[in-house]
Amino acid sequence: MSTSLRGDALSAAQDPLDEPEGRALSLPVGDVFERLWHLLISMRTGLALMLFLGFLTFIGTLLTQVPAGTQAVPSAYADFLDAMRAKYGGWTTVFDALGLFAVFSSIWFKATLVLLTTSILACSINRAPRLWRQAVHPRIAASPAFLDHAPLAGYVAVPIAVDHAAEVVRAELKRHHFRTLVTTDEDGVAIFADRFRWGPFGTVIAHLSLILILGGAVLGMGGFRNTDFAVAIGSTVPVGNGTALSLKATDFRDLYYENGSPADYVSHLVLYDNGVQVAERDIRVNDPLRYGDVTFYQSFFGPAADMVVKDSTGKTVFDQGVPLIWGSNDGKKSIGQLTIPGSDLVVYVIGVASGKSDATIKAGQLQVEVYSSANQTTPIGLQVVDEGKPATIAGLDFTFVRERQFTGLIVARDPGALFVWAGALALVLGVILVFLFPSRRIWARVRGSGTGSDVYVAAATRHDMGFESTFRALIDGVQEKGR
Amino acid sequence: MEGTPFFKLSEYSFVAGLLAVGLALLGYVLAIVLSRLGVRRSGLAAAGAGGGTVSFGGPSITAGLATYGTIVAWLGLAFLTAWLILRTIAVGHGPFANMYEFSVSFSWGVLGAYLVFERRYHLRTLGLIALPVTLLMLLYATTIPSTNEPLVPALQNNLLLTVHVAVAIIAYGSFSIAFGAALLYLIQPATGRRGLPRPEILDEISYRAVVVGFPFLTLVIVLGALWAEVAWGTYWSWDPKETASLVTWLIYGAYLHARVVRGWRGRNSALLLMLGFGATLFTYFGNLFFGGLHSYAGLNQ
Ligand code: HEM
Repeated sequence: MSTSLRGDALSAAQDPLDEPEGRALSLPVGDVFERLWHLLISMRTGLALMLFLGFLTFIGTLLTQVPAGTQAVPSAYADFLDAMRAKYGGWTTVFDALGLFAVFSSIWFKATLVLLTTSILACSINRAPRLWRQAVHPRIAASPAFLDHAPLAGYVAVPIAVDHAAEVVRAELKRHHFRTLVTTDEDGVAIFADRFRWGPFGTVIAHLSLILILGGAVLGMGGFRNTDFAVAIGSTVPVGNGTALSLKATDFRDLYYENGSPADYVSHLVLYDNGVQVAERDIRVNDPLRYGDVTFYQSFFGPAADMVVKDSTGKTVFDQGVPLIWGSNDGKKSIGQLTIPGSDLVVYVIGVASGKSDATIKAGQLQVEVYSSANQTTPIGLQVVDEGKPATIAGLDFTFVRERQFTGLIVARDPGALFVWAGALALVLGVILVFLFPSRRIWARVRGSGTGSDVYVAAATRHDMGFESTFRALIDGVQEKGR
Repeated sequence: MEGTPFFKLSEYSFVAGLLAVGLALLGYVLAIVLSRLGVRRSGLAAAGAGGGTVSFGGPSITAGLATYGTIVAWLGLAFLTAWLILRTIAVGHGPFANMYEFSVSFSWGVLGAYLVFERRYHLRTLGLIALPVTLLMLLYATTIPSTNEPLVPALQNNLLLTVHVAVAIIAYGSFSIAFGAALLYLIQPATGRRGLPRPEILDEISYRAVVVGFPFLTLVIVLGALWAEVAWGTYWSWDPKETASLVTWLIYGAYLHARVVRGWRGRNSALLLMLGFGATLFTYFGNLFFGGLHSYAGLNQ
């Protein structure tokens, strides 16, 4: 059917894939790719993407962003939205539907980033060969039309022979730090001169560096980042996350200035790899401990309780410091949690936050609440215990040995970081290369005339007063030296 | 530290710098007003003299005023430079750790960038924008206590604090020049207006200023990421200040590309520079609007 309609007016309305001829099959597909390609390398597209990414980022700056992890917990996210409702009213629903409370993980942001990356890559692929040609095999002889109509064009008549005049032009160009390439043809001598010919590769480096950075960021997702790794002083805690590391904190100090503002937070850490000590040192804010690709950063601190738990046979089942890392909603209590190995019990230990007081829990006391992990609303046992005095709760023997501090660390492994830093370095170098070493190209033509030589000099350049004055100085120099 | 001689001297330098910038601005404004009057009067005189092109008094007085203005502005830069040095000695780190220090440093950057561009391109008119910006930043600084709060642990990184912020000041200074030139570009028709620099020149100055500012802003962000990695354990955390600087960077990046697109040169790219400077100020004042990790001493509630 389609064959009979080919060439007919109707064929235009047909599905192109329906047509039997190879030409008709390949052309539309090629056309689509070509259009897509042109769209990708179009500077307008690039501009639109950059500005749209800027716009989304701006929204992410303006609107409160949901804290990491909150969206995974429906009740926490509902609380967050309620808080936002007080701020943004009815818009909250709209913003939420558009994903604007998590702009940086929204589909908009990711899609724009992917498109921008593709466009940057396409632009670089599209441009690099031309840059290479211009740097390595530049056209030495410019067309007469260019010499006449270039944005910067100059003409000097000198009373000397062509070869001599060409030498003068070359010498002047060299004096201005240009490299020169010369050919002689039937029309006289053609001179091409350039400076900083590798400068434009800065754009390629800058563009590819962005891809390196984004690639590094994606690789980084393969690592881990634990922002609430709390270690009670005197305790050793496994790092987990696929490592064989464990970390012991032997000391923590928080120092203050006279006016009460914090001066220094210092933890003394001992690191074990497979049980073997591999590092020991103080860490502080701005001075983390690095071991292999895992890094420990000083981040927060708080109270801890040394707890000993014995089972009914008198065997010790737990003997460690418990960091009280949570605060109660009213801010009056600090709460920590421990699990008894080999049982399904979850134990909360609750103390009074520093500087606060409570009716039931006094300083030097802890409230111990024991739950089964299946039911964490009704405790199996609950008791306020004094420091140093054993108490039996839910069949176990708890001793609050002493109060301690814990140090709170961020533990992170970022397998993409190296790429990000390499990309960042390349970005800075690339940008400096483009702007500090802008490429300059000048074409000159020397022709014999009745009285000597005619020298034409031309350059294609954007408005650039620095280059224009060099250009003028060059022409004056030729005029002067060619006398 | 407040009582040390260096601290006192730095305060005097600040006041001297403020006065000098104010005087320089006054000189420029008077020069412009007088030259306007001069133009009008010489126009009248010309009419009266039957087509002659005589003008009396005006030009030499205005030129003199403007020259003095420039000299006083350089003096202002010298005082503010003295402030930078004295304050650094007095507080023991680059004077970039609180809003007061950063504001004075910012105005130093704007004034310095203006004077450098003025020397190169001989465009005093640009001063009518750059000097008020400088003056406003300095006046803003007077509203913030200049006391020296000790650094909280996160800011205790002398090298990165100094380099990261010093580089930011150069970037912001350049962007304010780009802004000034773009503003002068936008307030005149395409063919230019008497008494204002030619549009092409302004367009080029804007571009040159961004060419200086963009690499520095790139460096600011990279150094910031480096510092964040050391202090907060991640090179990027979408902190509002980081985010705002990314917006700024994208806008100036777009500007650099926009100039290549036909139809975006000139007016549209000048508009982008307005947006860019808005973003710069937003980045700078951001701390006042949103919390985040970039809290400076002296602004915490
Ligand atoms: C955030 C993303 C980008 C950054 C940071 C960036 C960076 C740069 C820099 C610094 C330059 C030199 C500018 C100049 O010489 O004035 C440049 C030039 C260039 N960029 Fe990008 N770029 C980005 C995105 C893109 C995209 C998406 C495209 C393609 C649509 C593109 C295509 C080009 C081209 C063709 C040039 C050369 C312009 C010329 O002829 O001078 N860039 N880029």
